[in-house]
Amino acid sequence: MGEITLTINGKQVKGKEGDTVLEVCQANGIDVPTLCHLDGLSDVGACRMCVVEIEKERRPVPACTYPARDGLVVETNTERLERYRRQILELIFTEHNHFCMFCEASGDCELQKLAYRYQMDNVRYPYTFPSLSVDSLSDYLVIDHNRCILCGRCIRACSEVAGSHTLDFSQRGWKTLVTADLEQPLGESSCFLCGACVQACPTGAIFSKLSLYKGRTDECQQVKTVCPACGVGCELNVLVKDNNLVRIEAPRLTEPRGPLCRMGRFGLLEPTPPRVTSPLIRGKQGELEECTLHKAVEVIVDRLAGVKDGLAGMISTRVPSETLSLFNRFIGEVIGSDSIDTLDGESYRIITNGIRQFQDNGRGLDIECPIEDIPEADCIIVVGADPEKTNPIISTLVRRAVRQRQAKLIVVNSSRDVFPLWTDLWLKPRAGSEGVLLSGLAGILIDKGLVVSGKASARLIKSFSRYSIGEVVRTTGIEEERLELLAGMYGQAERGVIIYGDELLRTNDASSITTILNLANMTGNQVGDRLRVISLKPRANSRGAWEMGLARGIKRGKLKGLYLLLADERDSGELLSWLKGIDFLVVQASYQSPITSMADVVLPSPIWAEREGKYVTMDGRVLELKRVLQPKDGLPQDQEVLIEISQRLGHKLT
Amino acid sequence: MAKVKVASAWLDCCSGCHMSFLDMDEILIDLADVIELTASPITDIKEFSPVDVGIIEGSVSNEHDEQVAKNLRANCKILMVLGDCACFGGINSMRNLFTIEEVLHRYYSTESTTKDSKIPSSEDIPPLTEVKPVNQVVKVDCYVPGCPPSAKAIHYALTELLAGRIPVLPSEMMRFD
Repeated sequence: MGEITLTINGKQVKGKEGDTVLEVCQANGIDVPTLCHLDGLSDVGACRMCVVEIEKERRPVPACTYPARDGLVVETNTERLERYRRQILELIFTEHNHFCMFCEASGDCELQKLAYRYQMDNVRYPYTFPSLSVDSLSDYLVIDHNRCILCGRCIRACSEVAGSHTLDFSQRGWKTLVTADLEQPLGESSCFLCGACVQACPTGAIFSKLSLYKGRTDECQQVKTVCPACGVGCELNVLVKDNNLVRIEAPRLTEPRGPLCRMGRFGLLEPTPPRVTSPLIRGKQGELEECTLHKAVEVIVDRLAGVKDGLAGMISTRVPSETLSLFNRFIGEVIGSDSIDTLDGESYRIITNGIRQFQDNGRGLDIECPIEDIPEADCIIVVGADPEKTNPIISTLVRRAVRQRQAKLIVVNSSRDVFPLWTDLWLKPRAGSEGVLLSGLAGILIDKGLVVSGKASARLIKSFSRYSIGEVVRTTGIEEERLELLAGMYGQAERGVIIYGDELLRTNDASSITTILNLANMTGNQVGDRLRVISLKPRANSRGAWEMGLARGIKRGKLKGLYLLLADERDSGELLSWLKGIDFLVVQASYQSPITSMADVVLPSPIWAEREGKYVTMDGRVLELKRVLQPKDGLPQDQEVLIEISQRLGHKLT
Repeated sequence: MAKVKVASAWLDCCSGCHMSFLDMDEILIDLADVIELTASPITDIKEFSPVDVGIIEGSVSNEHDEQVAKNLRANCKILMVLGDCACFGGINSMRNLFTIEEVLHRYYSTESTTKDSKIPSSEDIPPLTEVKPVNQVVKVDCYVPGCPPSAKAIHYALTELLAGRIPVLPSEMMRFD
C-alpha cells in the first residue's frame, strides 16, 4: 500500500492508499464525530455526523466514505461543520422518540453523548412523534423502533459479523424501519440470537432483556475472560456491578474471532437452578441434610474406608486446567484409582483413535486447522454435527463463508438439515451409514481423478474401492447423482473444510474420522501441514483434560464408588442412567439437580465466573479464565475441598 | 444595587425542576441577597408583574399552559426554561403518540378504579393540546435541560445570568436524564 500525504486542518498528515478520510483522521488522532460508523464494519455514510470540508468539493462530504487521496486538503471542524452537526442531531432527535429519562441506554448512548458534546439544549424543529412498534417476542432481544436512528450498524453487524443478514431496512424515506426478514417479529425470524446487533446499536433501539436496567457501563467493572460455554474459547468482556453479572460483550466484535453466540452473550446470564450452598450428607431418614465441610469430609473418609476397589473419578471439563490437574492427582494418589474420565472423554478417544489410524506420528489434534480457516473456505461439509446447537460460533463462521465467500455448503445428516436456508446440498444417509457415505465419496473422487497425484496410496485406493458405488447407494439410500454432486463440489474446492461433531462421534466409529482426514489429505485441502478438518468439541477445557490424560475411561461394570466433580454443568441427563447402581456417590456441583439428589455426599462448587485458571481451547490455544465474581457466601474453591479430603486421608496435595 | 427580579412558573411537569432549584440549599441564602422572587408556584399569584428573568418548568400541554407561558414571556426580559419537559417536551410528550381521546379514555376508563367513571368536562378545565416544548409557543432565551437539571446546573445558569451573560450549559454539565 502506497503512502499518501494529506493536509488536514492545516497540518500535513500521512495515510495509506485505500484509506477513507475518516481512517486517516483516526490514525492521526484527529477527532471527527461519528455515529453510524463502527470500527471493523463497512461504512455507508448514513448519519452525516462525520461531514468534512474538502477543497474543491462544493459541499461537505462524509469522511467515512470519502476516499483519501494524495494532496487532499481537508477541514474537519470549521464553524459551518459544527453548525451542521448540531443541526443533524436536532433532526435525529425530532424523528423518533429520543427522550432519555426512560431509556434503557441512557448513559451508554452515543446519540446522547454527541448531543451533550454539541450542547444541544433545545431543538428548533417540530417533533414528528410517529407511532412505532416494539418487538419483544425474541427470547433475548428487544427492538424498540422508537429509539432507532436508522444508522444501520445492527444491519451491517448482522450481515458482516454474524453472517446472518436477518436484519435489513424495510420501507422507504421516513417510514424506513430496521426489520427482521420480511417484517417478521425477531423471535420468529431467521435470527440466531448472537447479539452482535445489541453491541453494535449506538442507542437504546436494540437491547438485551437479560441486561435491562442492570447497570450502566461506567458503574461496572469490566473483566476480560474466556467463554466457558463450549470448546471454541471466545474472549469475553464481562461487566459486573455489585458482584452481579450485568452484561457480556465481545471485546473485538468485528475481528475473525470476535463475534459471540447466544450461549456466550446471553446463556451465561440466564437464570440458573438453585445453588448448592453448603455440603450435604444423607441423614437418618435418607434425606440430604446440610452439614459442615468438616463433617462431610468425615463421611467421605469413613465410607471410602469401606470401599477399596471399584473407585473412580469423573470430572466436567468446564473447570480450568489447575483443577483438572489436582483432580487427576486426587483420584490417582489419594483415592488410589487409575479409573478416571471426563464427561466428554469418549469423544476424544474416538477422535484421537481416528487421527492415529490416519497418521501415527504423535501430532494428534494438531492435525486439524484452526477455526479461522472456516470463514475463508470455498466449500464446507458439515457431517454428523449441529454446530448451531453445540458450538454456535462455528455456525456463524460457516454462514460467513457462505455469505461472503459464496462457499458451497453441504450438510450430511441422517435426521435434519442443520443449516436450513443455507445449504447447497443436504444428504440424508440412513442413520449409521455416514462412514460408508464418506468412503463412497473418497471412491468417487479417486475415480474422477479429483485427488492430488501421489496423495492416495495404492493401499488407500484399495480400501476405498471396498464399496462399489451401487453398494454405497444401497447402504446410504442416497442417489448416485447426489453423491457425484458432492464429489464435484468438494473435489474442486481449493479451501474445502470438513466439520464433524457429536452425532458422527456417537456412531462410535473411528474409521469414519480416518476417512475424513484421508479425504482432506487426498484432495490437498490443507493449510501448511494441517488438514482442513475440524472436530467440534463440547466443553471449554475438554482439550486441556485430554492432553493431561484425564480421559482414560471408567469400567462401568465394576464401579462401586464415584467421585463426580460436576462443577456448573446444567444439562447432564445422560449421566443419570448409569449413576444409579453406584454404592457411594460423591457429587461436587454448583447447582442442585437430579444428580445431586442421588448423591450420598454433595459438596459445593463455584460457577465459571467464580473460578480462575487456564483453558485449552479446541484448537489448542491456552487462555486465561479470570475470576469475575467473588464466590457466593465464601464458598470454597474445588481445590480447597479436594485438599481438605486429601489431608484427612493423610496425603499432601498442593 | 437593586435586586434582580425573577418569577417562576410550572406548566405540565412533576415539579422536580423546582425541587432541584431548592436543592441549591445554602446557596439559596446568598441568592436571596441578589434575587427577588416575585412569583413562584408557591405564591400562587395568577398574574405576573414585570420581571428581569422568567423561569418555566414543564411542557405546554393544554391551553392554560400556553396562556401562562405567553403571560410570563410578556412580562420578562429573559426567559429561561428548566428541565427536559420545557426544553424538549420530555416524558409528557409520550402521549403525543396517541390522540387526546385515546389518552383520556385510557386514564379515566381503562386505568380508573372508579365504577362507571366518565371523562370530566367543564369549561373550567382547559382542553388538552399536543404536548410541546416551550420554544414552540414563545421565544425562549436560554435552556437548562435535565430530568431534573442538577442544582449545580441551575446555579451555573443563574450565575451566568447575574453576570449579564446568556447561559449555555457546558457539555460536562449537560444531562437528559
